[in-house]
Amino acid sequence: MIAQLPRLHAVTDDRVVARGGIVERAAAMAAVAGPRLAVHLRTRALGGAEQLRLARRLREALGAHGSWLVVNDRVDVARAADAAAIALGRTGLEVRDAHRVAPGIPVARSVHDPAEARAAAAEGADFLVAGAVFATASHPGAAAAGPALVEAAATGGLQVIAIGGLTPANATAALGAGAWGVAAIRALWDAADPGVAARSFLAILPAAASLVVAVNGESRVVAAGTTLHGLLEQLGLDPRAVVVEHNRHIVRRDDLAQAALAGGDVVELVHFVGGG
Amino acid sequence: MTTTVLAPAFQDTPLVIGGRSFRSRLLVGTGKYKDNATMVRALEASGADVVTVAVRRISLDRTKEEGILFHLDPARFFLLANTAGCYSAEDAMRYARLAREAGFNEFIKLEVIGDQQTLLPDVAGLLEAARTLVKEGFTVMAYTNDDLVTALKLEEAGCAAVMPLASPIGSGLGLLNPYTIRTIKSRLTVPVIVDAGVGTASDACVTMEQGVDGLLMNTALAEARDPVAMAHAMRLATEAGRAAYLAGRMARREVAIPSSPTTGMLS
Repeated sequence: MIAQLPRLHAVTDDRVVARGGIVERAAAMAAVAGPRLAVHLRTRALGGAEQLRLARRLREALGAHGSWLVVNDRVDVARAADAAAIALGRTGLEVRDAHRVAPGIPVARSVHDPAEARAAAAEGADFLVAGAVFATASHPGAAAAGPALVEAAATGGLQVIAIGGLTPANATAALGAGAWGVAAIRALWDAADPGVAARSFLAILPAAASLVVAVNGESRVVAAGTTLHGLLEQLGLDPRAVVVEHNRHIVRRDDLAQAALAGGDVVELVHFVGGG
Repeated sequence: MTTTVLAPAFQDTPLVIGGRSFRSRLLVGTGKYKDNATMVRALEASGADVVTVAVRRISLDRTKEEGILFHLDPARFFLLANTAGCYSAEDAMRYARLAREAGFNEFIKLEVIGDQQTLLPDVAGLLEAARTLVKEGFTVMAYTNDDLVTALKLEEAGCAAVMPLASPIGSGLGLLNPYTIRTIKSRLTVPVIVDAGVGTASDACVTMEQGVDGLLMNTALAEARDPVAMAHAMRLATEAGRAAYLAGRMARREVAIPSSPTTGMLS
């Protein structure tokens, strides 16, 4: 379970990428959705170098708002661009290989039927992207699996992002079937104002289970229930090399795992540096 | 063939602060070096046991790794955390408590700065912080002016060492007032360690010749063209000044007295 997994996923395809302007449109959505948004860079048309350049620009635009960048299939690009997650298509690497290449980064698998969902859970996927739930112009003529696919995929315990013909109008059905969140292509990227489109999705998605805390003077978004120990872990800091002050009180190392963060908390993380 | 065993010409007592013994009377800082490798080599060349460190925010950008403990072996050096950069008693106490939580020792080099331009101490804030920290079990080494009355009050407050300046921090002006330093040393029971202002080896030597217990420096090493060679020079100068003080200098007189016999001259 990834507590901070965004609920709204804006997935690109080659058509969206080719049209250009996706960094600006992603930034508009991120400004509205913050850490509730993940943008999936999914393209087969771009070569590695070009894809990485685009991924880095996206990462920068999204990171400013705490939104996620998810890179599809190109584990190398995901790692180089410091993506928050990797999504593997049907023909992508095996999950364990992706984990080996990019340790510590959650890996999602696209699944299209209950058998694939079970297989993905068995191979160690961290969350699932399940579809097509509804009929979609991205795959014209393909049969829609309906919310039943979400329900079946969710029985394995992994978080499921529903994809395929999702709109603010039908998203409730996917959520009712157990989806953690929803993914959309056209409904977001083709909207006249992607920020407005994102907002209409967010209105029906579960409220953000996240809070804003100040860490060393910088605002950071963390999942509700995050402890100081969890915060250090997310920051990649060794608790033995840091002294933690929480709202002006020093927290002993042994107590870090018990100290939960609340919105507006002020955390200072200090260590020794050269001095006279 | 006979072997002559020479007795060591000079044997000093250890420097004892807050119940802890140190071999070297030279304490050095770890700031402002151009790189960590030079810093470590300079510390080694200085022969210091005690090295000072500062408490600062950790960089959340994991590509940077500027923590000093990645370069310094805390088993080899005694880490003396400072409260540099603190302009109030409250701030200094906050930094001291954070430093102690790092888990190395109870020592704190207490600085409460009162003026940005000269970095001279705010002695009222210093005394307030010293009193509180001593009550909290800290071993306080207080950086202060070369002022006898403040030094006496710091001792009375329970400081384990009093550290008057030779001249302002980072100035390299050397020992500006040997008289006040000698006076402080003569009146205090706790160790007196001159902290700040030493620029070169002769400054270190002259300062130690006043009879103080030790010397703390940073910039003189870090900003020397060759910090490692300067650290070596400072080590020798500190030892030389200390030995000269213990040896007891000859009397000053304003007339010449020949060193060679006046008898036995040829006629």
